[in-house]
Amino acid sequence: MSREILTSAGSPWLLLPLLALSACGCGSPDAKFLRYEVFALKTEQLNNDSRFSREQRENIDEVMQALYGTPDEPRVPALGEVPIADVLDLAKLQLAAGPVGSDEVGNVRGLYREHCAHCHGITGDGAGPTAAFLNPYPRDYRKGWFKFKSTPIGIRPTHDDLKKIVLEGIPGTAMPSFKLLPDLEVEALVHYVKYLSIRGETERALLRASMELNNDQVVLPVLAEGASPEQKTFHDDQKVIVTDAVAQVVGDWTRPAEVMTDAAAEVQARPEMTPAELAESRKRGQALFYGFAQCIKCHGESALGDGQTTDYDEWTKEFIGDGKNLQLVAEFENAGLLPPRHIIPRNLRLGVYRGGRRPLDLYWRIRNGIEGVPMPAVTMKLGDDPAAKGLTPADVWDIVNYVQSLPYQPINNPLDAAREVELLRERM
Amino acid sequence: MGRFWSILFLLVPVLGVGCFVWAMADMWPMQGHWLPENINDHGRVIDNLFLFILVLTGVIFAATGLAFFWFLWKYDAAKNPQPVAFTHGSHTLEVVWSILPAGTLVFIAIYQMNAWADAKMRRPMLPGPDGQMATQDDIPKPSTCEVTGRQFEWRLRYPHSKPENWKPGDPYVYGDDDLYVVNDLHLPIHEEIVLSIKSQDVLHSFFLPNLRVKQDVVPGMLQHVWFRANKTGVYDIVCAELCGWGHYKMRGRLTVESRADFDRWIAQQVQAQSQSSFTPTPTAAE
Repeated sequence: MSREILTSAGSPWLLLPLLALSACGCGSPDAKFLRYEVFALKTEQLNNDSRFSREQRENIDEVMQALYGTPDEPRVPALGEVPIADVLDLAKLQLAAGPVGSDEVGNVRGLYREHCAHCHGITGDGAGPTAAFLNPYPRDYRKGWFKFKSTPIGIRPTHDDLKKIVLEGIPGTAMPSFKLLPDLEVEALVHYVKYLSIRGETERALLRASMELNNDQVVLPVLAEGASPEQKTFHDDQKVIVTDAVAQVVGDWTRPAEVMTDAAAEVQARPEMTPAELAESRKRGQALFYGFAQCIKCHGESALGDGQTTDYDEWTKEFIGDGKNLQLVAEFENAGLLPPRHIIPRNLRLGVYRGGRRPLDLYWRIRNGIEGVPMPAVTMKLGDDPAAKGLTPADVWDIVNYVQSLPYQPINNPLDAAREVELLRERM
Repeated sequence: MGRFWSILFLLVPVLGVGCFVWAMADMWPMQGHWLPENINDHGRVIDNLFLFILVLTGVIFAATGLAFFWFLWKYDAAKNPQPVAFTHGSHTLEVVWSILPAGTLVFIAIYQMNAWADAKMRRPMLPGPDGQMATQDDIPKPSTCEVTGRQFEWRLRYPHSKPENWKPGDPYVYGDDDLYVVNDLHLPIHEEIVLSIKSQDVLHSFFLPNLRVKQDVVPGMLQHVWFRANKTGVYDIVCAELCGWGHYKMRGRLTVESRADFDRWIAQQVQAQSQSSFTPTPTAAE
């Protein structure tokens, strides 16, 4: 057969494969949400390595698609009383979803794939095609955790927090600014990021719920005609479990609105200071930096961010723990985890602030801590008890003042530093 | 058949010149394909150089194309039955076609020197301690803004510290209260602007098409560009050097405005950057 084709160079049959090729085109296949493999593996390991059955995984795929749709046709789950529309706006999601392009009237579509997906991935798993080249890695939204926000650790970010990151970018990382996009497009992207977060968190919940079942049970079975009463009860029970899980995920995302209207969320303006007072404040801040607040533990005595350099963030630690078990690391890398990278504390002498350089941003970082990384919230003094241990807002401002002065200290300049070292030697 | 090909080759100079003329006439479908509006007082020189070289190369291009056509037409095999005669070089001809282009290149090299020096070497100066311009102690005009290219955005830093003996109207210097902005460059009109250009990662090229300013941004090098904008409005900043996969989206926005508007904008940005209080509102989440 092959000889025939080879010898009959002019045969019109030769055109057939070419025609077939041109009919298929060379476009990419439809975008698909990827399974949360690393979390499935984690769940299996937590349950003595009992494996999910194929039916269980496929059932989760179906339930996820029923709830959230596809990358081209997003869907917002109907939850009855839970006000999901406060968090996710379907019209905006549709602007951000789908392939890059515009519709007949010229409205843009596919904003997420145009601007975000190459790093954050179609699924929001932080593992897009360019992710592996970046340090730090792009955020995996599926855990629902974000670092730079106004809310305390454990509370989801507010809409404005996410929007600020999209607008301003994150200096010191690969996240650029999208300031010049029209407001509607930025809004659409923020809604889509929340959508991918909520979707990912739901998948986690479903995987966990599925693991609690027997291997032959799926998390939400399809109720066939003539199902037995037991099957019907099981189906109804499972439906409640799934709906509750989604409601809880969405509920977490509606909470920032309450938390941030709480009086405790208020930040009093930094006290106005004369240069002499500012110098005093910085001294007090320095004492706290090296003392009670223990900033030096990670940021180092030099504040160059070299106090510890071997820790990992929670997006990594969740799966590989301290990273010493190389077998475990390899298993998760096979499941899609990017090669683990250490979380490096900020070098405070560079004057590059990832979460923003307003005094308010620095205050939030110190008071609230940073979600998912070793940076803890400081202990704040509650009430008026003078014996209580903790920092007052004024103390936090002292630390902010000290931290803001670090990039401008003369010792940062190599020439001046040489002189300071000389002076130190003379004193010794 | 032979003459058909010569007509086809005639289309090369005709279409080549036609494209340019069409774009210059700003006619459909070539609208907006000619040079963007020039808003730089010093930009005319660059445009004139461009046009001069375009006309020069255009004439040679058209003449060469026509000569090719003429030979193809005249010596078509079908119309010339007699055998081909070969010649063995013409010394005069070779001297002419070596000296003419060489002379032209030397002319261009000399003719553009002043424009190059103005654009790249003669940075605007300020009077030094003696208060006189064009004396030995003149100092280079400090930059209005520092532009740092990085994949894939333009980070801007405006100096906001007052030096010792600062008087109203004096420039600010860089210090611990600089203003940081991203992608949104604002500049005053009718003032000699100096920008410092840096890169944080790889090669970029800082390009202001409307100001006829383009400067490669080289990691580790501090460079300067200068210009004087003469029309208010909003213009593009683009990266003109392939700098990575996101090169095409490395765009910024330049707003040229009156001094008063510029000062107001700076004050607004400074205030936003020094925000230290936060008041919870019921609408904080949405």
